[in-house]
Amino acid sequence: MSDLDRQIEQLKKCEPLKESEVKALCLKAMEILVEESNVQRVDAPVTICGDIHGQFYDMKELFKVGGDCPKTNYLFLGDFVDRGFYSVETFLLLLALKVSYILLLQMLIQKIGNVRYPDRITLIRGNHESRQITQVYGFYDECLRKYGSVNVWRYCTDIFDYLSLSALIENKIFSVHGGLSPAISTLDQIRTIDRKQEVPHDGAMCDLLWSDPEDIVDGWGLSPRGAGFLFGGSVVTSFNHSNNIDYICRAHQLVMEGYKWMFGNQIVTVWSAPNYCYRCGNVAAILELDENLNKQFRVFDAAPQESRGAPAKKPPPDYFL
Amino acid sequence: MQRVKVYRLNDDGKWDDQGTGHVTVDYLERSEELGLFVFDEEDNETILLHRISSDDIYRKQEDTIISWRDPEYATELALSFQETSGCSYIWDNICNVQRNMHFNTLNSEAFRSVNSELSELPAVELSTLPLILKTVVESGIADQMRLSELLLNDQDFFRKLMEIFRVCEDLENIDGLHMIFKIVKGIILLNSPQIFERIFGDEYIMDIIGALEYDPEVPHCQNYRKFLKEHVIFKEVIPIKDPLVLSKIHQTYRVGYLKDVVLARVLDEATVANLNSIIHSNNAIVVSLLKDDNTFIQELFARLNSPTTSPESKKKLVYFLHEFCTLSKSLQMVQQLRLFRDLMNEGVFDIITDVLQSQDKKLVLTGTDILIHFLNQDPALLRTYVVRQEGITLLGLLVKGMITDFGDDMHCQFLEILRSLLDSCTLSGAQRDTIVDIFYEKHLGQLIEVITASCPSENVDHGSSNSVDPGRRDQYQMEIKPEILSNICDLLCFCVLHHPYRIKCNFLPNNVIDKILLLTQRRERYLVVGAVRFIRTILSRHDEHLVNHFVRNNLLKPIVDVFVANGNRYNLLNSAVLELFEYIRKENLKLLLKYIVDSFWDQLEKFEYLVSIQSMKVKYEQCLDNGGTKGPANVLDSRRRIDERALEKEEEDYFNEDSDEEDTASASVSRNQKEQQEQPSLSNGVAASYTQTSRRSGGLVDYDDDEDDEDYKPPPRKQAEVSEEEQMTRESLGLKRLSSKDREPDLVKKQKLSKNPKSKDSVFAAICSTLSQAVLPAKKTAINRHTNTPTAEGRMSSSGDSQEKAPDASRSCSDDNNTTAEENHVEKETAASRKASDPLHGSSDNRQLDGEECPLVPRKSSPEMTVNGS
Repeated sequence: MSDLDRQIEQLKKCEPLKESEVKALCLKAMEILVEESNVQRVDAPVTICGDIHGQFYDMKELFKVGGDCPKTNYLFLGDFVDRGFYSVETFLLLLALKVSYILLLQMLIQKIGNVRYPDRITLIRGNHESRQITQVYGFYDECLRKYGSVNVWRYCTDIFDYLSLSALIENKIFSVHGGLSPAISTLDQIRTIDRKQEVPHDGAMCDLLWSDPEDIVDGWGLSPRGAGFLFGGSVVTSFNHSNNIDYICRAHQLVMEGYKWMFGNQIVTVWSAPNYCYRCGNVAAILELDENLNKQFRVFDAAPQESRGAPAKKPPPDYFL
Repeated sequence: MQRVKVYRLNDDGKWDDQGTGHVTVDYLERSEELGLFVFDEEDNETILLHRISSDDIYRKQEDTIISWRDPEYATELALSFQETSGCSYIWDNICNVQRNMHFNTLNSEAFRSVNSELSELPAVELSTLPLILKTVVESGIADQMRLSELLLNDQDFFRKLMEIFRVCEDLENIDGLHMIFKIVKGIILLNSPQIFERIFGDEYIMDIIGALEYDPEVPHCQNYRKFLKEHVIFKEVIPIKDPLVLSKIHQTYRVGYLKDVVLARVLDEATVANLNSIIHSNNAIVVSLLKDDNTFIQELFARLNSPTTSPESKKKLVYFLHEFCTLSKSLQMVQQLRLFRDLMNEGVFDIITDVLQSQDKKLVLTGTDILIHFLNQDPALLRTYVVRQEGITLLGLLVKGMITDFGDDMHCQFLEILRSLLDSCTLSGAQRDTIVDIFYEKHLGQLIEVITASCPSENVDHGSSNSVDPGRRDQYQMEIKPEILSNICDLLCFCVLHHPYRIKCNFLPNNVIDKILLLTQRRERYLVVGAVRFIRTILSRHDEHLVNHFVRNNLLKPIVDVFVANGNRYNLLNSAVLELFEYIRKENLKLLLKYIVDSFWDQLEKFEYLVSIQSMKVKYEQCLDNGGTKGPANVLDSRRRIDERALEKEEEDYFNEDSDEEDTASASVSRNQKEQQEQPSLSNGVAASYTQTSRRSGGLVDYDDDEDDEDYKPPPRKQAEVSEEEQMTRESLGLKRLSSKDREPDLVKKQKLSKNPKSKDSVFAAICSTLSQAVLPAKKTAINRHTNTPTAEGRMSSSGDSQEKAPDASRSCSDDNNTTAEENHVEKETAASRKASDPLHGSSDNRQLDGEECPLVPRKSSPEMTVNGS
């Protein structure tokens, strides 16, 4: 069993990794993510997941419903961290799964030759994958609490800068965390974003991660969130048309039923954090697409209380004070 | 009002009709309680009066009947409604009243004591354990509060319970132990701070933990007490005499242990929060008592400083100090600040300086963690120290730490501390300048050397092997971890944004940009991307002088090379370079645009399918086309640029003075080589003459004023200028609004120049995206400010510089030399430009003005050019 496999097993039990392990994992992940494109190509079949927000045990429910990775091909639409109690474990598990799969692939490719193997777990960036936001909504404090320093936070947020911004499934489904941007009318325009930076306060990159579709808006509207825009049905229609895509799949907004279509099935919101913040009472959903892009939403509930216990921590062996 | 018939169940089991009337819900007379009233529809007599009960006695049937067993009438009553809506209205009312009553129950003490069945605890005996367990586990919310109260009022409960626990343990009465486990767990989950206070006291806590060893759901008993007594070590590095402090210290550890280990899977969030607050307040008490104990602090530092203290115990003392600083976060802000000041006065930074020189890496990192605590508290403390004579070593150690390999350990603290020390936004005047001075003077070179030493050396100048011998370099290349290079690159980007002027002074003469670009040859793609980002950060400075420097030294070649080598791969490198090109195009950096297309088009052509590459070419062609027709604007443009250049001249003088002989010489050699290699592949004559001129101009100059530069320190006067300049940079980042009358004319000119004000907006967006951390003001003002920054900079820096330089005889001499070379150079270049009918370059007007307005000012007197021939 490799170190990484052992770490994955540990993370699956919701036990955080050591600092040194986080460092090694992040450096490996950096090498992998730097090769990804701003619009990451994804093959079907794939299962699309929305916000997780550190709800580790609910993510385990998600894997129960959707199947284990890498058996199931996953696309996560960002917002792995903040709000929930286990942002560190949640993000590092997803990252470790990704890295271990890619390393396996690289080994295979070395043996068999350069065949194109698709990735099995794609992570794109959400608006919470940001230094500023995580300092307010919990990830920063969680790292400080669990490690006694913010080094792990620093490594993770550095990784956030490398995460891809969007995905395109079989050239037909555009997936992004937030939504569209007035600065982006074609997918090609996303290419010229240098994504390795903190999420800016405005501009295309910011909008992709922050915007929301809105029924009552015609065209573009100001977002009450203070970043990104609201966009109406006409915007989506023309975007889908000019990029020849069937629909947009995004996350970013709590929907009580787990998913929600808008503008006549031109855009769908997928939300994967059941009982959001442990009190919203919503169900969660994931969207399964088969190889012909047939859709099936799988709705699931929060993990039962008894399966949520935090694992015992290792007590420090000595103390001065 | 709802029309109803009232029925009553008689003793025969039949429903008697009591009459027909209207039902309402209203307050009972002289009471706050609500009741149901039915008044006869004919004579208005009261048919029914019923106090609504909080008990679950009401039933709704068939949508029109509500019935209940009435305690007062001692029989069943029923209301039969005429309308279903009337029925559901009254039903909802009843439910609401009941809900409110339940809510009040929780809040009203009196109500509870009257109504709660729990009036006293069972006597604590072995035989009553099941009853106690039932009381603890099965009590509702109201009863739980009552239970807590009773537990607290009963002074003997816990003593007796623990006695029984010990008896059970002696007798190995497992059933009893299991029950006690459940009782104790249940009591902890009551989450009462007062109960916690009692059971976590010295008297009971070990027994409580003992009781929790017997979890019936875990097959064998846990050894918590054994662990606490035998395995955990309380390290008392300095004897603590106060028994209260000692007791709190132990309690804190044990409560933490309960929370994180013993009950980790059991506790709910609210209980965890309460346990944390116990720990927090304990920490505050401990730190506060210790810090006020003068002898304690003095002894701590005496031992830390004493030469007779063994390294092993010194290490422990440092760990103690770290824990002490960490726990001090529990203090109030003011107290914290006072504590850190006291520690500083006791010499904590001298001790850290010592620690950072240790071979023990864990100890070193603990030292940096202590520094981080100080920075989080008040950055000024560490800064005050660093600018002192004795603090210089510490700054050096921090830089060294940043480039040291810590193996598996994270050591981002070093970068963090350096950033904080060099941050121009939070630093104040003199302190900042001194730290920045020392850093640039002593340490920047060190960082650059790490880069040059760890990058493949094919294109590296031979010269640098003077300073770094080949053996050492190989060693470096093996040793330097890529993340260290990445950290250096980050810090350099940070410096570009925070001390733009400094960076110019140091980077241009020392060919630093060239060296950083060596990162493009690294295998790790994120380092290559880092180098691209560095270039992009520099260009976002909008500094014409820097742009000239880029063009003159062919600095974008490595970028284009890696872009081309990356091929059609759509990865971060691809995006970063395209974004750079887009920026150049949108910002209308004509000089760069022309340079890129002229020099690299044959390489870039095959990427023309990319919109960015295509539009760059289009823009380039537009520039060429506009050249002939846009006369007036060009004159204006060149005039403005001449103004700037006149001012830049002063800056350049400064650079020249500062240049480091060895570095400059070596780097320029390599450039010559590079240029020779490149020349055949150049795509057109214009570019070729570029290279040629710059080489020639270099050859003409004999530049000899380097020797006095080793110890050159900028005089104080200049520092003031620097800080002012940086101030403005900050403002251009949008942190502060600036209203300078001086700037207005420039502003007008600029606006005339910009053909399309809209494109400025997008430009601004691009800038913002790089300077993302800055808070952005209203867009328009920010744009104007930004476009003006370079001009303002030039002016600011020149006024100070010229005064300083005037007395320097050797300088003016070399300036003369420069001028000759420069005039030559300009001529050549002008010719070249004319040939290409290029509006971007100096026209003859330009040159004339050059001569008229500032006879001593060379148009381009950059030191690297002048050393070329030496």
